[in-house]
Amino acid sequence: MLKVTKLQKTFRSGDTEFAAVGGVSFNVPEGQFASIVGRSGSGKTTLLSLLGGLDKPTVGTIEIDGQDIAAMNDHALIDYRCRAIGFVFQSYNLVPNLTALENVLLPMEFARVPKSQRLERAKQLLDQVGLTDDKQHRKPGKLSGGEQQRVAIARALANKPKLILADEPTGNLDSQTGKMIFDLLHNLAKSENTTIIVVTHDTGIAGKTDKTFRLQDGKLRK
Amino acid sequence: MNVITRGVRNAFRNLVRSFSIIITLGLSIGLCLVMLIAHQAVGQKINDVKASVGNAITITPAGFSAFSQANNALTSPQLSKVKSLAHVTGLTETLTDRLTTIGSSQPSFGFGEMSSGSSGNNNQTSLTSPVKINLNRNGSGNGRGYHLFINGGGSLPSNFSPPVTIIGTTDPQTLNQQNGNSAKLVSGKFINGGEDTNNAMVSTNMANKNNLKVGSTFTAYGTTLTVAGIFDTGTQGGNDAVIVSLPTEQRLSGQSGDVTNAVATVDSLDNLASATSAIKNQLGSSADVVSSQDQANNAIKPLQNVQSISLISLIGAVIAGAVIVLLVMVMIVRERRREIGILKAIGASNVRVIFQFMSEAVTLTLAGAIIGILIGVVGGSPVTNTLVTNSTTSSSSFSESGGPRTFSRFGNGGGSGPVFRRPAGGFLNRGAGSIGNTLSNIRANVGWSILLYGLGAALLIAIIGSSLAGWLIAKVSPAEVMRVE
Repeated sequence: MLKVTKLQKTFRSGDTEFAAVGGVSFNVPEGQFASIVGRSGSGKTTLLSLLGGLDKPTVGTIEIDGQDIAAMNDHALIDYRCRAIGFVFQSYNLVPNLTALENVLLPMEFARVPKSQRLERAKQLLDQVGLTDDKQHRKPGKLSGGEQQRVAIARALANKPKLILADEPTGNLDSQTGKMIFDLLHNLAKSENTTIIVVTHDTGIAGKTDKTFRLQDGKLRK
Repeated sequence: MNVITRGVRNAFRNLVRSFSIIITLGLSIGLCLVMLIAHQAVGQKINDVKASVGNAITITPAGFSAFSQANNALTSPQLSKVKSLAHVTGLTETLTDRLTTIGSSQPSFGFGEMSSGSSGNNNQTSLTSPVKINLNRNGSGNGRGYHLFINGGGSLPSNFSPPVTIIGTTDPQTLNQQNGNSAKLVSGKFINGGEDTNNAMVSTNMANKNNLKVGSTFTAYGTTLTVAGIFDTGTQGGNDAVIVSLPTEQRLSGQSGDVTNAVATVDSLDNLASATSAIKNQLGSSADVVSSQDQANNAIKPLQNVQSISLISLIGAVIAGAVIVLLVMVMIVRERRREIGILKAIGASNVRVIFQFMSEAVTLTLAGAIIGILIGVVGGSPVTNTLVTNSTTSSSSFSESGGPRTFSRFGNGGGSGPVFRRPAGGFLNRGAGSIGNTLSNIRANVGWSILLYGLGAALLIAIIGSSLAGWLIAKVSPAEVMRVE
């Protein structure tokens, strides 16, 4: 499903070039739950940005179902991010002025899902992540960290993406809530047959995934 | 919820800030509309004045003005040559004089003789002027009606009565029209301007003041005249006069053949300039020849200044509004970089995000436009009138210069003596004078077009103001969302 080949991303600062990701290659089959672990500055977040089409690689290919996103133009990348990818961030990244329900509706609006289907799907997802009807109409500021992350997971699943990319999804949560969120993400992905790649420095979480990649100084270590 | 709804909601995300922005934009858009209203009203007035300009040419003795004391009257033989010039279809000649009321006294500071052509003792009438004089010693009066400005000492005698203006004309009916004052015959009939009789026409004010009716008699220059008609010009200056035929006035005043003012009518506006040149060439340096077009052009100069000021202010206000929106939107975009990154990361296109922020800008400016339209509706007319009044007042000396000869005799024109000022729009205040009188009568209309212009200005301000914000939005990378705060 996901095939990464010799992926490299370099940044230039003055005359100095720095390779945040240096020639990474790996595969993740469809429906698998993979994790990327590594210390801060190891290139995890940069790799996730590249996989999510948020940034373009300097060298290499990222194939999803045989389609190379590194070669996509801006318009195609927008469509890719909209329909093929779901993001879950460490700091939730919900739109603060919208309610939980509206946040989940947002990606479906961008994907031009019919209005009647949007609302039904959003409510169903929020129910699935355990957000009560009352809380669905609250803005993020009125929800706890765990609840916000539930909304973020529901939003990530809204357009039934092929791939969910989660950047430290439990990083801002206490261990109990973190475990609950991880299990939720895992179960939902399984039920929706979605491939998940989680970036984490928590080896406990990494140990529960189907596959683990260790990143060090921008390169994969066995 | 669609992009527009989100933009509208975001506009009121921070109520205090939104309210401040809306008030500021409202003032800016209000100023736009006020200036637009002024610009339109003044433009309409200028067009009206231009459209109302007749194909007339005013001829006065050279150097003749209200205060110049020019004394070389034109003569009928001189003017008869004008009649024969190409394109000149008519010529109305007038001789104006001033009479004192029998039994009244003149002030000690010397108003001097009342007529150059006749002896002072004969320049008397049984009529009493309806003019009310406002005595002003400090020279700063701006009120309505006649003002007598006395810079030095002196006082008016207890039995002082303002002089009575008597006008001899070849065509009383045409004279009225050329003034720009729509004089109407109230009773009786118009006299024949070419016939030497002892018939006269008096104004309504004069008739009321002296209990005159058609058929009544009064004396002037020691001769008994009969009231043939009573007229009303609708102006204070015009309603203070007596009209007789030109031959009658020349005979009674002893100014045989003299003319103090003539108006030539030209067959077409297209020939106005050439006919004016021909008359100037014919009369040479003995006469000042001014076409109604020239007079109108001079008269509307203050209005054109107001129009320019309002246009510059209008453009300035639009730019100010656009700058306000631009700075606000740049600030908002900088504040919400992360949010823009989120939207892009979950699949929003640049166009969609820019459209959302533009909706926000349009919402703010439309809310400002509502306040601005209220300001425009309330302030448009007063501001226009203030601008026009100030502008036309500062140029009122022009209007005065076209005044009748009689007034130049009345004051001494400077020093410490008195200066007599009449209100603009006198009976013989031809061309520019009469135009000047109506310049300040500006109607500032606030119609649907103004509302549409207001909304248009708001949209223009919003679009211009959010253009830079749009560019900044396009530059925000979706990877911004990965930045850890």
